[in-house]
Amino acid sequence: MSRVEALRRFLVRRWKPIAAGAAALALLAASGGVLVAWSGLYSVAASKGHWLVIDRFLRFGMMNSVETHAPDVEPPPLDDADLIRLGAAHYYAGCAYCHGAPGLAMTPVAQHMLPAPPDLTSHVSLWTDQELFWLVKHGLKYTGMPGWPVQNRDDEVWAVVAFLRQMPDMTQQTYRDLALAEVEAEPQGGEEIARGNAPDAVSACARCHGDEAGPPKSELVPVLHGQPREMLENALRAYLSGERSSGIMQTAASGLSSDEVAELAVYYAGLEPPRRTIDTAALSGHGRELAESGDPARRIPACMSCHSESALPVYPRLAGQNARYIANRLKAWQAGQTARTDTAAIMVPIARLLTDDDIAAVSDYFSSLPQAGGAGR
Amino acid sequence: MNVLDPAGPDAGRLAELSWILFIGGGAIFALVLAITFFAMQGSDRSRKRLSGNWLVWTGGIAFPVAVLTGLLVYGLLLMGAESRPAEPDLRVHVEGRQWWWRVSYEEPDGSRLESANEIRIPLGREVEFVLTSPDVIHSFWVPSLGGKLDMIPGRTNRLRLTADRPGVYRGQCAEYCGGPHALMALEVIAMPAGEFDAWRAQASSPVENAPARGGELFLATGCGSCHTVRGTSAAGTIGPDLSRLGERRQLAAARLPMSAENIARFITHGQDIKPGNLMPEFRFLTADETAAIASYLAELK
Ligand code: HEC
Ligand code: HEC
Ligand code: HEC
Ligand code: HEC
Ligand SMILES: [Cu+2]
Repeated sequence: MSRVEALRRFLVRRWKPIAAGAAALALLAASGGVLVAWSGLYSVAASKGHWLVIDRFLRFGMMNSVETHAPDVEPPPLDDADLIRLGAAHYYAGCAYCHGAPGLAMTPVAQHMLPAPPDLTSHVSLWTDQELFWLVKHGLKYTGMPGWPVQNRDDEVWAVVAFLRQMPDMTQQTYRDLALAEVEAEPQGGEEIARGNAPDAVSACARCHGDEAGPPKSELVPVLHGQPREMLENALRAYLSGERSSGIMQTAASGLSSDEVAELAVYYAGLEPPRRTIDTAALSGHGRELAESGDPARRIPACMSCHSESALPVYPRLAGQNARYIANRLKAWQAGQTARTDTAAIMVPIARLLTDDDIAAVSDYFSSLPQAGGAGR
Repeated sequence: MNVLDPAGPDAGRLAELSWILFIGGGAIFALVLAITFFAMQGSDRSRKRLSGNWLVWTGGIAFPVAVLTGLLVYGLLLMGAESRPAEPDLRVHVEGRQWWWRVSYEEPDGSRLESANEIRIPLGREVEFVLTSPDVIHSFWVPSLGGKLDMIPGRTNRLRLTADRPGVYRGQCAEYCGGPHALMALEVIAMPAGEFDAWRAQASSPVENAPARGGELFLATGCGSCHTVRGTSAAGTIGPDLSRLGERRQLAAARLPMSAENIARFITHGQDIKPGNLMPEFRFLTADETAAIASYLAELK
């Protein structure tokens, strides 16, 4: 106590020379820094690497920073097959070319980054779920590890974390099944390979959305089969302009030309809707009530006025849509995702009137409702 | 919209009361000024007289008691005149909503004729307004016809009014109800009883010959999820009934004059016109589609 008191007295008496000394030191350090930067003597070459101690020091700082910043939230259940599959499919397009994947080596280009992206198979166990979430959502400054393309889709980030947790003991086959929706790669002839018509193209929509052979394999991915062409185009253009927020779809759609968007819309609009086993129990009750009559006392309009077959073609059809996708989209709007397109401006205020029970009921109802449309449209 | 320009007996009594208050209050105010003047500038004799206790007894106690008792008796007599025969000639239900008025006329056969934002009443017949609200407190006030009465969620208030003079009388929501409260107005059209009966007889039937393309677009765009148009599948009750929109004088709770152009503008830019109102903007419609819907609605008359 008395020592602290002595120090305090000393500081009070001598603060002027102390402050002046500190200011002089700071000035010296700053001008030294400017001088080094100006001289160009420090090499910024990635090829040279850091000294070992610097490397250890940077890693030490990075790990502590991630630990401090990782959010204190409960993750969704991560052993969820739909979540893992969606995460794998995005990993294939957005992460594998830097970090490699089961049965897929890192590219030499990525290996020569500084710091080089680590092989995640051995690294995921270093982190908690929340830390992985933070890393994937925010990326790492000064390293080339990118943040998630949008900051308001935590649900998508969790999908990747769910996949990362499974990755360490995943076989190449399982990985290809999840990310490419195929179990065995079709052997290709030299010409096909040379011309680059590879079926595992990153841009292949069917990896996630399915094709003639079937609907999406993850319930979190929307069924596009038989949706109106205008609605599909409208959605793709909204991803391309960034007005519809999805790190996964904005990545998948990036680089599509206007013509390709139109062609893809025609393609999916013409696909026969997948057959489903219909859950007749879900076809009555509260979900149906909301769909057909809404709830005027709570100002909820009847969904069918805008989502039936006879509605405008820019409106999505909901019959036969995946229940989890419907619920996910409605919850994202409820959670505050704003309306940045003219079509979302209609739907967002309606979504915000729904309770969790309403959402569960309408999702089940619509996913059980047989879809019309298809090839004829 | 003027309290001192009455168009019916109820507003007349209010105007009379107002005049009495203005003139009486003015006279008393002048008297007080005069006494103050003499107290300050008068001769010594008048000042001495004014300083006596008698002034406090008469001016401070006896005078106010007399005047206020007089006013109370007069007011009670006026209110007594409100007691009416049991059944009014016409009953109109008006529901204040954020931020428009649902109007429904009780038909002689017990059914209801639905409309919104404009009320037609027959001259010389007593009309009972049944006032309710499903959301927050609003207040129904048509100054030229009578006093205002609150519309309170969970309660039913009744207001009886009669119009003596034909005309269009503007009303206004008189209790702050959020957002565009100031833009929540309505019009009461007082018309000769014969004309009113003729109007009511045909108003409940659907409009024939409305433009077909606009009608189809109206349904495909989902307008029917919130609006009713009699004779079509549009049966929504979240927004105003549009069955006879074209014959109303004003649009969106007397915000804009009725015209196809204004309807079109409200469909795509309603939030600019009436910020905060509960209808979303349909900006993705093409100008051509909006015009078709607007002319369909304008023809509903
Ligand atoms: C452009 C290349 C690049 C891409 C694309 C990339 N990363 Fe990284 N990532 C890096 C680099 C570089 C590091 C190393 C940072 C370090 O060592 O400080 C890193 C680090 C990580 C780490 C921390 C591992 C550790 O222990 O250091 C995780 C987890 C990670 N990335 C996951 C992902 C995921 C998931 C994706 C896809 C959404 C992804 N990364 C996309 C370059 C990339
Ligand atoms: C990595 C998986 C993945 C790939 C690859 C992918 N999508 Fe998607 N797609 C999704 C997910 C997940 C959503 C839902 C995104 C959201 O919440 O907005 C989606 C949404 C869409 C929608 C909006 C559907 C609706 O109902 O609103 C369209 C259209 C679409 N994708 C088309 C495509 C096309 C075309 C391609 C190929 C160029 C493609 N997608 C590739 C996963 C994918
Ligand atoms: C007035 C018209 C209208 C009504 C009524 C309406 N919606 Fe919508 N809904 C839309 C529009 C427009 C979109 C497209 C939003 C976009 O562009 O993202 C949409 C999108 C959706 C989507 C996303 C579909 C997809 O494929 O991405 C869901 C789910 C949805 N609505 C559910 C409902 C439910 C449930 C109701 C009834 C409670 C309802 N809607 C009532 C107009 C409406
Ligand atoms: C989600 C419900 C909803 C939908 C969908 C909707 N409206 Fe409305 N509408 C309203 C509400 C609420 C009002 C009252 C606005 C106000 O004045 O405060 C209104 C007002 C109007 C008015 C003015 C009515 C009057 O009495 O003056 C017109 C015209 C109108 N809507 C036309 C349309 C058209 C055309 C569509 C379809 C393109 C449509 N509405 C879709 C809720 C809706
Ligand atoms: Cu009000």
